[in-house]
Amino acid sequence: MNKSENLIKHIHSLVPKDRKVKIMNVCGSHEHTIAFSGMRSLMPQNLELIPGPGCPVCVCPESDIINAIKLSKRDDVILVTYGDMLRVPTQQGSIRAEGKNFRMITSPFEAIAIAKNHSDKKIIFFSIGFETTTAPTAAILEMGIPDNLYILSSHRLTPAIMEILVKDADIGIDGFIAPGHVSAIVGSNAWNVFSEKYGIPTVVAGFEAENLLLGIVDILRQIKEGIAETTNVYSNVVRPEGNTQAQRIMHKYFEVSNVNWRGIGYIPDSGLELKSEYSARDARKVFELKEVKEEKIPGCICGEVILGKAYPSKCKLFKKACTPQSPTGPCMVSQEGSCNIWYKTN
Amino acid sequence: MCVGVPMQVVEINYPSGVAEARGVKRNIGLQLLPEGDVNIGDHVIVHVGFAIEKVDEKMADEIWKGFDEIFRLMDEEDEGA
Ligand code: SF4
Repeated sequence: MNKSENLIKHIHSLVPKDRKVKIMNVCGSHEHTIAFSGMRSLMPQNLELIPGPGCPVCVCPESDIINAIKLSKRDDVILVTYGDMLRVPTQQGSIRAEGKNFRMITSPFEAIAIAKNHSDKKIIFFSIGFETTTAPTAAILEMGIPDNLYILSSHRLTPAIMEILVKDADIGIDGFIAPGHVSAIVGSNAWNVFSEKYGIPTVVAGFEAENLLLGIVDILRQIKEGIAETTNVYSNVVRPEGNTQAQRIMHKYFEVSNVNWRGIGYIPDSGLELKSEYSARDARKVFELKEVKEEKIPGCICGEVILGKAYPSKCKLFKKACTPQSPTGPCMVSQEGSCNIWYKTN
Repeated sequence: MCVGVPMQVVEINYPSGVAEARGVKRNIGLQLLPEGDVNIGDHVIVHVGFAIEKVDEKMADEIWKGFDEIFRLMDEEDEGA
């Protein structure tokens, strides 16, 4: 019997027999591994592995995307952003379909190169994502950016949304698998609040199937013992205190703010914006961006999917009007979106 | 976009450097790790062009092994679809 088979056997023996258990992952790459490895079908019937808010593209507010489209239409602007963002649908179309001057980048570094090569233009870096992408954006600010480069920050904080999830009794989470690389930045200690304050076993895991199974075993062990701890089965990568240099640089340039999560709503202290000292670099301030009222996409239940309240297959548009080739909602766009992953594996 | 890839550092010019994985070289940022902490030959996890953490060689190999497995399964899904 190989190690994975052993772990699965262990999961079957540890799972409580008399009730349902819900374990949520909050990372698109975790969901990817779970879905593509076929892990769900090997779990005990009463153990649910639910995907949570692990897709940064999915929660990026419609208003920011519409503003990005508008900015890209200016002749003096080149908008740069990560590839997935170009395809996210809004009431006014996507950046790719409706935008004019835009480029895809794979690293904030490329934003600097584009700014240097187009000194007559204003380069706006539409920077989105959780802690793992915020830190690199903070890093380019620390390294020094050209005067014609501006940041449109749509960064989000993972612990903030997880706190919303635990407070929602409808979801009823019994354990969290904390995201591996977000944890490399924030540290495994960042999740202590969930075990200590909310009594939810939380395990930091990596992206290999075996490591994820190990994480699930540890959550079930805690449930069986009636305890709640924050543990780390990815300790070769994640330190308890995290990457303190990255944290210091992020705090130097960004501050927490109340922000909208698409399909979910406003959550206090859950996003990051540039500090006022750096407002000359802040595209929101320099270009006086106004908030556009978010419109619900008819039929799309992406918000519920992100919160773990519904599986993608519950959506009437899933695999019909909404496909990765022609996404109706944001959760179908990126490889981290639950609908996209489910499309390919269900 | 949240995928972190292990790469080996082959050149350092702090706060930048060059790292390599599977024969592909890429300029990377080292600003998120303290100067002097990273040496040539070290393995790092690179996320959107920035090294976010050091890992040992064994861990780097294990992470790649995990990717290979997922890529293989994704290919199978594509062929089946
Ligand atoms: S399948 Fe498409 S329309 Fe339905 S919830 Fe997912 S993204 Fe939205």
